[in-house]
Amino acid sequence: MPAIAAEALAKHFTPEIRAVDGISLSIDEGTIFGFLGANGSGKTTTVRMLTTLMRPTGGHAEVLGFDVVRSPGEVRKRIGVALQEAGLDDIQTGREMLTLQSRLNHLRAADIPDRVNHLLHVVDLDDSADRRVKTYSGGMRRRLDLAAALVHRPKVVFLDEPTTGLDPISRDAIWRYVADLNKNDGVTFFLTTQYLEEADRLAGDVAIMDAGRIVAQGSPSDLKASIGTDVVSLQIEGGADELARAEQAVRRLGGIEDVRIIDDAVIVYVREGSSAIAKLVLLLDEASLRAREVTLKRPTLDDVFLQKTGHHLEAEESASRPPAKPDRGAES
Amino acid sequence: MIQLLSDTRYLMIRALRETARQPALEIGNVFIPFFFFAVTVGAIGHVAGRAFAVDNYTAFQLPVAVLQAIAGASGTAGFGTVTDIERGYFDKLLLTPTNRFSLVLGRLASDGVRTMALTLLIVVVGLIFGSGMKSGPFGVIVLVIMGGAFGLSYSGIGMALALKTGSAQAAQLGFLVFFPLVFLSPAFAPKEVFAPWLRTLATINPVTYIVQGMRDLVLSGWDIGSLVGAFASIAGLGIFTMTLVLLALRSRTA
Repeated sequence: MPAIAAEALAKHFTPEIRAVDGISLSIDEGTIFGFLGANGSGKTTTVRMLTTLMRPTGGHAEVLGFDVVRSPGEVRKRIGVALQEAGLDDIQTGREMLTLQSRLNHLRAADIPDRVNHLLHVVDLDDSADRRVKTYSGGMRRRLDLAAALVHRPKVVFLDEPTTGLDPISRDAIWRYVADLNKNDGVTFFLTTQYLEEADRLAGDVAIMDAGRIVAQGSPSDLKASIGTDVVSLQIEGGADELARAEQAVRRLGGIEDVRIIDDAVIVYVREGSSAIAKLVLLLDEASLRAREVTLKRPTLDDVFLQKTGHHLEAEESASRPPAKPDRGAES
Repeated sequence: MIQLLSDTRYLMIRALRETARQPALEIGNVFIPFFFFAVTVGAIGHVAGRAFAVDNYTAFQLPVAVLQAIAGASGTAGFGTVTDIERGYFDKLLLTPTNRFSLVLGRLASDGVRTMALTLLIVVVGLIFGSGMKSGPFGVIVLVIMGGAFGLSYSGIGMALALKTGSAQAAQLGFLVFFPLVFLSPAFAPKEVFAPWLRTLATINPVTYIVQGMRDLVLSGWDIGSLVGAFASIAGLGIFTMTLVLLALRSRTA
């Protein structure tokens, strides 16, 4: 039995606004599933349907064998959820919040203090446990939110963009907790993210979501291999005309799988990229065009995303990331 | 059922803790009824007492101050729920296997406790300023229970608005409902001196019977018919507001 299964799951707010447009999923128990997509692609709506917070308008979904519409109570008993905005009560202390969460999840009263202490320790909040949540930093809030999702030892945990807006250290801490829980306790994670690195590092399988639909699904390595080519990026000097001419020019090379214009670059998917570079530059030269920069790389998840959706995720990701802290060298 | 009550208790304690940690929010709930109580009694107490043949206008006005405090305090029930919704904490509560009604009942119960405390405070101040309590110490207890029950019922209006709209401004509209209800009741003068149309409206206004029940405890002593009328009105109001709350909760979680 899969931990999470969905068949033609849909949420149409109006006939025109189709937040989720018939997606199908089957996620094995004990795995980490990465749900990758840009803002507005339908990731959060999918999570809200799978966690019983929102009623689907089509299809059906089950979590651990329980239908999310017909048996929402049974689903809630078995899942932990940390939504995109850490939903915390600023007036309570971290310990009080976890205690209340434990009580509402109907843990045995005698077990609650130990469970709360354990979770506070796991997420490194022992020293801040008795401070009010409003005094917590962004990273501490995310960690508390994760602990709150785990109080009742759920079999399946949904994390909706758990590291968005966090500094690299806090992000790394969250990744470590998730990996440990998955490895040691066999917890299944459904992880939505717009960070390719997060999906690549944690997830055994990923699905790429675009405009309410799943456009690719598989393990990160399989998805990268599915491109089957190297990726050569040619940044062309000039404007739209030059880009269009460059695209036409490079298409004359044999062995090309695909050519796309993305921003100010022509992206060429080609076998044996290293030997193709010289020929590509020559073709540009014959067309009186110049490449400002030429790069060759093995396919990444971003390339998969680009090929499947026609746009980069990394650019959107970096725009939404906080500026990285300068390293010691830069500070000095 | 036991689980519902148990979860409601935990959520009530959480809401009361929230109140205790934000005492500034209660200042208005205390100040406004005392201000109007003092001004009304001070400005027209002597005249109104003679005109309406009321011996003790301070005692006559005491229930109005109680109801005003309750209406103010109950308005913040919706505000707390809106804050939970805006913070995303309400979703976290919805994701627990607890009965969803306990999520709202916990906060409403805390309003019941808060309004009992406010009622007691106003009764004590009234006693200091000479209102007296014809029904004695047990009457104080009944009056405080009546205040808590009315507070719980009345909070349902703000709670329903909060759940339906998720808006703090809308949630506070619950307080505005209080004004027509109280002015269309014998809050400031006996019903007997009303114009016929106003007397008709007062007769169908549930607040009339609550004011009367509280007033009789303070001014006249024990009157079982009056008490039954007051508690029946509170129960009717409660059934109405809880229906609104359940409908709003269903629409929010659909």
